[in-house]
Amino acid sequence: MAGIKYVQCNFVGTPGITFDGKIGDVPICRSVKQKGHNHFFRQVLLAILLCIVCVVPVMAAELQLPAIVEPASQERHVGKLIFVQLVTPDIAATKKFYAGLFGWTFRDFQDGGTKYAQAFLDGRPIAGLIHKDIPPAERRQPAWLSFFAVSDVDAAKKVALQNGAKVLFEPHYIPDRGRQAVLADPQGAVFAVLASTSGDPADALAAPGEWIWISLLTSDPDAAAAFYQTLFDYEVFELPASESAQHLLLASENYARASVNSLPASKPNMHPHWLNYVRVEDTVKMTAKVVALGGRVLVEPRIDRHGGKIAVVADPFGAPFGLLEWTDTDSKEVPK
Amino acid sequence: MNILILRWLRWLVFAFVLCTLTVLLSGCILPPGGYEYDNGGIGANYYEPSGFVDYGNWGRGYQVAPFRGGDHRPSGGGGHASGHTYKSAPASRSMPSIPSHSRSGGSRSR
Repeated sequence: MAGIKYVQCNFVGTPGITFDGKIGDVPICRSVKQKGHNHFFRQVLLAILLCIVCVVPVMAAELQLPAIVEPASQERHVGKLIFVQLVTPDIAATKKFYAGLFGWTFRDFQDGGTKYAQAFLDGRPIAGLIHKDIPPAERRQPAWLSFFAVSDVDAAKKVALQNGAKVLFEPHYIPDRGRQAVLADPQGAVFAVLASTSGDPADALAAPGEWIWISLLTSDPDAAAAFYQTLFDYEVFELPASESAQHLLLASENYARASVNSLPASKPNMHPHWLNYVRVEDTVKMTAKVVALGGRVLVEPRIDRHGGKIAVVADPFGAPFGLLEWTDTDSKEVPK
Repeated sequence: MNILILRWLRWLVFAFVLCTLTVLLSGCILPPGGYEYDNGGIGANYYEPSGFVDYGNWGRGYQVAPFRGGDHRPSGGGGHASGHTYKSAPASRSMPSIPSHSRSGGSRSR
C-alpha cells in the first residue's frame, strides 16, 4: 500500500465517497469515472427511448381521411381519374367559392393542425380540400392534384421510376382512403396514384358539378403518352394535329380517360400539368359566375371537338380548372 | 431523495432537448422536386410554382375535350406503324368517348 493515498472523489451526480487513486499525480477516480460513463450512457439510452416513445407516435399520427366512394364499391378502373384534391391557404373562402359555383357541400375533418374538408355533390364525394398557409416569401399557388386509380401503388411507383418519373411523396397508407403516392412524370407534370380501399367510382356520366374530364398539357405529348400507356395500360388514339400542336387521347376499358396535348403555341415554356374539367350545362353562364364569386377567366369559352364549349378558369386563390359543357342534347357545332 | 429527483430532472431535460432537435431536423428534410410537400401524414400538400397558369392564347384548332359517342375516328390518326414512342390503338378501333349512361344504372350504351 506504500505510495497509495486514498483521496475523496466527489463525482458530479454520484454522491458518496469512492477510494481509488494515486499519490503524487492528479487524483484519478477510476471507479467513479467508469461509473460516471456508465451513468451517462444509461441516460443517453433512456433519453433515446423516451424520444422514440414520445416522438414516433406524434410523427406517425395520420389524419384519417374519408373514403372516396360511399358506399364502398368493388370496382377498380386502372387509369381512371378517381379523385382530386386541392391545398388552399384559406379553406373557408375556398369552400364558399365552390359551394356557390357548383353547389358542393362540405364535411370538415380536423386532426392536430391539419384541416381537411371533403366536398360532396348529392352525397357523393367529389374532392378534398386541405388547408395550408403559403409563406409570404414563397411564390407558389394552389393547384388541383389528380388521383388516378391503380391496383398496386408500389408497383406503379416502380414502373414510373423505371420510365423517368420522380417520386414526390413515397407510397403511404392513409386509413379509410387507401395507399397513395405522388409522382411527377418525365416532363414534370405532377399526379397521384391511389389504390382506394373503398374501390373506384363506377364508370358513369358525370352530373353537372362533377369532374368529367382531364387533359395533360405537356412539352412532349409523344413521350408523355408512352409513359402513361406503360403505367396505366392505356390505348392511345391520335387526333388531328393543328398549328404544330399534337393531340392524343388515352382510353381504357373502352372509355376515353384523358387527352394529351402540346403546350399552347403561345406558351411553349409553360409548366406541364394536368388540368381537370367540371361538367357544366352552360359554360358562358358559369364563367360569369366564376368572376362574380371572385375567380378569373384564363381561357374564354370556346367550342371544342365535342361540340360544346369549354373554358379554363381559376378560383380566387389561383387554382385553375376547366369548365366543360356536356349535355345530351348538344347540337354538334363544327369547331372553327 | 432530492438527488434522485435532480438526476431524473437532468435526463428529462436531456431527453427534451434531444426530442426537440430530432423534430427540428426532421422538419428540415426537404423532399426532391420543386414542389411544396410536407407530409402532415397525408402527402399531398401540393402547390405549383406561381404563375404556371398563364395559358395565353390557345389558338384555333387547339382542342382538349373528348369526342362524343358515335363520332368517327378522325382520318390520319393512329393504327399505323409510326415513329412514336407509344403504341397506337389499332385502326379498327373506333374512337371511345366518356361514359354516357347515368349513375342510376343502365347499359354501357355508347
